[in-house]
Amino acid sequence: MSKTAVPPTVPELSRAASIVGLGETDYGDDYRAQRNQPEGYTPPTPESLTKIAFARALEDSGLKLGDIDGLAVSYLYGGPSPAEVATMLDLRLRHTMTVHGIMAGPIPQVCAAIADGKCDTMAVVYAVATRSTGRTFGGMSAHPDEDAVPPSYYYFNPWGWSSQGAHWAFCWQHYRHRFGRAEEDLGQVAVQLRKNAMATPQAVMRKPMSIEDYMASRFIVKPLRLFDMCLVNDGGICFIVTRADKARDCAQPPVSVAGWGKANVKMDKLDTLIRQQLRPQCQAAGEQALQMAGLSLGDVGHFEAYDAATMHLVNHIESHGLAEPGTALDHFAAGDFAPGGRLPVNTAGGMLSGSYMHGWNHVAEAVHQLRHEAGERQTPGLEVAMTSLAQTDQVHPIIFTRGA
Amino acid sequence: MAHRRPDRTLGPGHDEFWAWCDKQELRLPKCQACGKLAWPVTPRCQQCDASKFVWVQLSGRGSIVSWGTFVQDYYRGQMATPYDTILVELEEGVLFISNPDGFGEQDISPGMEVSVRFIDCEDSAGPFRLPVFCRSS
Repeated sequence: MSKTAVPPTVPELSRAASIVGLGETDYGDDYRAQRNQPEGYTPPTPESLTKIAFARALEDSGLKLGDIDGLAVSYLYGGPSPAEVATMLDLRLRHTMTVHGIMAGPIPQVCAAIADGKCDTMAVVYAVATRSTGRTFGGMSAHPDEDAVPPSYYYFNPWGWSSQGAHWAFCWQHYRHRFGRAEEDLGQVAVQLRKNAMATPQAVMRKPMSIEDYMASRFIVKPLRLFDMCLVNDGGICFIVTRADKARDCAQPPVSVAGWGKANVKMDKLDTLIRQQLRPQCQAAGEQALQMAGLSLGDVGHFEAYDAATMHLVNHIESHGLAEPGTALDHFAAGDFAPGGRLPVNTAGGMLSGSYMHGWNHVAEAVHQLRHEAGERQTPGLEVAMTSLAQTDQVHPIIFTRGA
Repeated sequence: MAHRRPDRTLGPGHDEFWAWCDKQELRLPKCQACGKLAWPVTPRCQQCDASKFVWVQLSGRGSIVSWGTFVQDYYRGQMATPYDTILVELEEGVLFISNPDGFGEQDISPGMEVSVRFIDCEDSAGPFRLPVFCRSS
């Protein structure tokens, strides 16, 4: 199985495994330390971030070190091997695996491994020191450590065109003319996610943001501004995932992995992304995930989606059918996607204001919400959450449910 | 004077695109099996997976679908910021990213008609001609 392949979307794998432990690093504190460089500051590494996230996840789960018999590692920008991590964390394992860096496949792959009997309880670790290593995006930056970077990321360099930001700028320009939207309208997304981050203790950006602040932020690729773009920060996340029958005895309310889906853009990428808003892919992958879970879209009470840019989030919401095309910004303005609204979205601030953890942060927030432990940003009585990772050419939704 | 530009993607197939540009012709590879035009250049047809292409000349006319202005200096001074980029739907149906020539973002509205022309450029592989778009008269 390649690193990005997703196991079959069959009912037998639905709810076969549950997330019973979660550990996150201190995104906001680490971000400020990196900026201020206090005396004796040492930048985080994938190893140091892994240790913290794992220790917190294990403690959170109430399990003992000896209960962990599987390990999946995900280091998007490089890191230790599974064997090195096992030694570092003092783990005795039956099964190890390397999973894709972004949240496009890791959770389904881990569930399939557990369902297959390769191990019972797996630590799934991800860490990136994106900010500390000075990683840049767009321009002539090389990405030799990533698999299959889409050609649109570098092919148009001679015209001075590259970066995810430019993809979303073209999307927004097209969208705003098609639906007659003003620049301020898109700012509602950034402002709402900042409010959500302010209610999230570990979030990176917690300073209040008004529409005026949004409009005053500098352009990156016009019509998108700095506050339309996601953060760049360091962090790590660890999930403890166990077989459903074992999950019922754990310290935390289990969060079941109920369904997943996957769809790729095979051709006409720019047209699919900019004019069709990835709608065919979202619809196909979303249906796979819901069908596998035995649920319908109306059952989803909380939605977390990959927000590399404000427009990206609009894209997810409309293309998954959670709002009619052209209306998502009205719903943001009306508070429908706020905590306590009709369908709370990216309640921890997403990657725009929360933490740029490549979709792992969205799954972490789904876990907090489904455990009913999200404090003032909690969605009351939540039973079903949906996450959606999409890049410019792939969509990977997951359905999570409360209980095992 | 040739404009300095960030490096092209070169190699089999890609070289042919730029060789046609040098002759001031906008040509793209067309799949011999299913007839689909490929852009960017790919070794296999994304529609039918065949690998034989014929380079067909395009009309060079199209209309603007979207556009954006690079304000952030992604290319570390290789191109003076800010500069405009456009997404052109060519008459043959392909979406083509390029730059406007002789007009700017303030002049653009969706569907605006444009025509290709070629400007002298150079990158680290040497001089080449870059297809850009001016307003159709």
